[in-house]
Amino acid sequence: MKLFFSLVCTLSLVSACAMPVADHGNYDVIYSIDEVVQEKADAKQAQQITIAVVPKVVNIPYFNAAEEGALEAAEDLGVNLLYEGPAFADAGQQILIIEELIEEEVDAIAVSANDPEELAPILLKAKEKGIHVITWDSDTVPEARDFFINMVDPETLGRHLMDTLAWNTDEKGEFAILTGALSAANLNEWLHWIKVHQKEYYPDMTLVEVSANDDDSQRAYASAKKLLEKYPDLKGIIGNSSVGPPAAAQAVKELGKEGEVAVVGLSSPNPMNEYLKDGSAQIITLWSPKKLGYLTVALTNNALKGIEPFDWQEIAKVGKIRMFNNTVIMGDPMDFTKENVDQYDF
Amino acid sequence: MISKLTKFKNYRLRTKLIVTYVLLTVIPISLLGYIAYSQYTNSIEEQVGEYIPKLLEQANENIANQIRELRKFPDLIYSSDEVVGILRKDAHQSRSSLLQDEFTVNNYLSRTFINGGSQDILGVFVISKNRLFQSTKIPYTNFGLMDYSQSYGQDIQLKTDDVFVLPHQTSLRFEGNPPFVLIMKQLTDLENRTDLGTVLVAVNVTFLEDVINDMSEEGKADLWMMNKEGRIIYHTNSSEIRTIDREFDEYPKINGSFRTTQENANRLISINYMDETGWTLAHSILAKNLTEQTDLVRNASIAIFIVFVFISTIISILLAWNVSSPLNRLTKVMKRVEKGDFDVDLAIGTTDEVGMLANNFNSMITEIKDLIRENYQTELKQKEAELYALQSQINPHFMYNTLETIAMSVEDDEKDTVIEMVTLLGRMLRFSIGNKEAMVPIADELLHVKDYLTIQKIRFEEKFDFSIQEEIESQNYYTPKFILQPIVENAVKHGLVYGRITSIEIDVCLVPGSGGAEEIALKVKDNGSGIKEETLADIHQILASDPMAKRNSHFGLINVHARIAMNFGSGFGLNITSGADQGTEVEIRIPVLKNGNEGGHYGLKKN
Repeated sequence: MKLFFSLVCTLSLVSACAMPVADHGNYDVIYSIDEVVQEKADAKQAQQITIAVVPKVVNIPYFNAAEEGALEAAEDLGVNLLYEGPAFADAGQQILIIEELIEEEVDAIAVSANDPEELAPILLKAKEKGIHVITWDSDTVPEARDFFINMVDPETLGRHLMDTLAWNTDEKGEFAILTGALSAANLNEWLHWIKVHQKEYYPDMTLVEVSANDDDSQRAYASAKKLLEKYPDLKGIIGNSSVGPPAAAQAVKELGKEGEVAVVGLSSPNPMNEYLKDGSAQIITLWSPKKLGYLTVALTNNALKGIEPFDWQEIAKVGKIRMFNNTVIMGDPMDFTKENVDQYDF
Repeated sequence: MISKLTKFKNYRLRTKLIVTYVLLTVIPISLLGYIAYSQYTNSIEEQVGEYIPKLLEQANENIANQIRELRKFPDLIYSSDEVVGILRKDAHQSRSSLLQDEFTVNNYLSRTFINGGSQDILGVFVISKNRLFQSTKIPYTNFGLMDYSQSYGQDIQLKTDDVFVLPHQTSLRFEGNPPFVLIMKQLTDLENRTDLGTVLVAVNVTFLEDVINDMSEEGKADLWMMNKEGRIIYHTNSSEIRTIDREFDEYPKINGSFRTTQENANRLISINYMDETGWTLAHSILAKNLTEQTDLVRNASIAIFIVFVFISTIISILLAWNVSSPLNRLTKVMKRVEKGDFDVDLAIGTTDEVGMLANNFNSMITEIKDLIRENYQTELKQKEAELYALQSQINPHFMYNTLETIAMSVEDDEKDTVIEMVTLLGRMLRFSIGNKEAMVPIADELLHVKDYLTIQKIRFEEKFDFSIQEEIESQNYYTPKFILQPIVENAVKHGLVYGRITSIEIDVCLVPGSGGAEEIALKVKDNGSGIKEETLADIHQILASDPMAKRNSHFGLINVHARIAMNFGSGFGLNITSGADQGTEVEIRIPVLKNGNEGGHYGLKKN
């Protein structure tokens, strides 16, 4: 009897192995890699971020469009945006504006520099204060900024501009270039590639003059007229900055030389709409300045969060970007002709 | 408890030993087994609990990669300037141009998404400014402009970049009811920064299916993907899709695994949160499935345990029996000894403590036996001495009769007769005086009897005769003293019958004994009137009883018998055969006692 009893006891002890070990709570955590934190604090933090975007100049369609894009991005990302620029494309004015922005203790400054050298000291000063400095549209010396947001690859753009002119002049004849400020780095780089491309592929074409206008519409118009008068055999004008093509087209139209003198270059579709349709301009090339404004704010915001741009990075509502040598390339240039110019609104 | 303990104290030693043995083996083994088993299962759970979240993380990573791919599909719209151009327009156009646009866009969608895109794309819809463009792989129902474009004729404006529309959120159904999700993405006019519309890509959840089904291990485990609300997007059990996991909110907010503790069949649940979509991938498996292997081990070990317990119980019973049975035998033997039986032998045969005990017991019993025998023999010797003393006397009647006969012979002046009788009587007296020797040669004893019979013959003259035959060298064999004389006296006394010649024959010979050895038989035979049957039986009975009890008429016979029995054991003594008027033969059996030490173990006892 005793034996049987002890047997039963021990058997029940052994079979107790299968019984679950009771524990408090519904769940007993065995292993945890990490806690799941749902992102919520993000928006609040972003409220405090202030990004200043400084264009070369205000109140021209190009930079107005860029402002629209920047504002859209600021709204999407929930950051404060200051869009302040000089009335004329002047480096000194920009320096004053940037000084003010430094005093306002903004978190980041994105600047489209009128002069790569002159702006460097004030940008370096901003950097010392812990402000992120980014350049867009037009670069400064590399030391003065974190990275540069370029719209297009300068080589691609320069060569493409030369191509658009060649298509409309049967690859021969004289042509002139209307550029903005002679000090603007981006314009000079494009200019360089236009010349290279012409020398490589279009030996029958001759560049007769490069005329600077400091992005002033009046001066541009005046130089265009002067060029047309000075070179009666002129076959084409390339507007190297956004004020160039409208001025050239206006001059061509007024002188009744539609079809005779081809007008191509960089400009927004809206101011060129009419000229394209009436034949005083043939092709204009640009990127979306709205997109550029948007991208600038988006990348600046990313930089503030510690996300540096990288090659083939996907930016929401913009698409993929390229990145090399501390320079971001937004995308490829777009051509506007009388067929598609209505689709665009900037 | 204490009473139980004292009760236990009073149990048989065997029971105690068995219980102790069994407890000593069973308790440590079962404890060890239990601890080992629980440790083992715990470690399995921990291993799995660590391993599965990592798998899930991996799977989530795969799924996230696929989702990243899928998310890029809506962007394919951007690659066609023509389509973007159409989307930039609005619905306020002529029907034909609207239809042409629709044809163009649908065509592009088919080319790009249905034919060229991923296998998983079921269909694609673009809603733009009150226009719907679509292309699907399989027919669908319940989806039209009214379902998705808001009732005010306005477009959807998504606050975020893209949205996953889960099956429960849409009435859209495809033929065959494949599980799917809709990736809804706002189309932005990248250049003009305006809304172009919304693209919805219906994607079969095979990308989840493949990853998840891979992990489900033949249906043993449940896997499911759910969104932030616990709504199940995909489940290995397809009937669960679109339901809500009600416990989702209670799950610990970790990437890891946990065990349910409140359910009948406890489960091990592992979850992993996917940042990409805010979805959670969960894996649930019954704990018992995990420990299936160990259950086999457990059952096997329980079986082994039972066998082991059985064997150890048998061994313990054997051991306990081994210890207790000699003790029991000892008890029994002691009881026999208590009752006076000293002829016991406790044969244990081992040299352990019990064997030593048995040996000691045996030697103790032997010692006791010896003591008793010594005591008894002392008593016997005393008795024998007493009997001997009685026997060694010459009957006064005989003396008287002899002297009378001598006197008469003197009167008759028979000088020779007188001399002979006096000589004979003197020799007899000398024999009886010289009683220092308890053992005498048979020849001496015979001579003594012969003297006696010669005197009687002289006395009774022709009425009496005798003869003595010796078939052995009687000088070399020994016998206790005075054993023949009483028998011969008896024969003379009872055998004399008036009117005829009384003859007495004495015969000494070697006969085979009952034990196989030879014995000496001394026979005294007369031709007297014999003994009646009743008397003979009476005599036999008296001979068997205590020789010292009483001394009646048969004293001579009894005395001789007792002395022989005392000296040589009950196998020796008198044997009387007789019948009425047939004479009497008394046979005395004694062992062969030779001169010197040749008498075997019946050494010559000297008084």
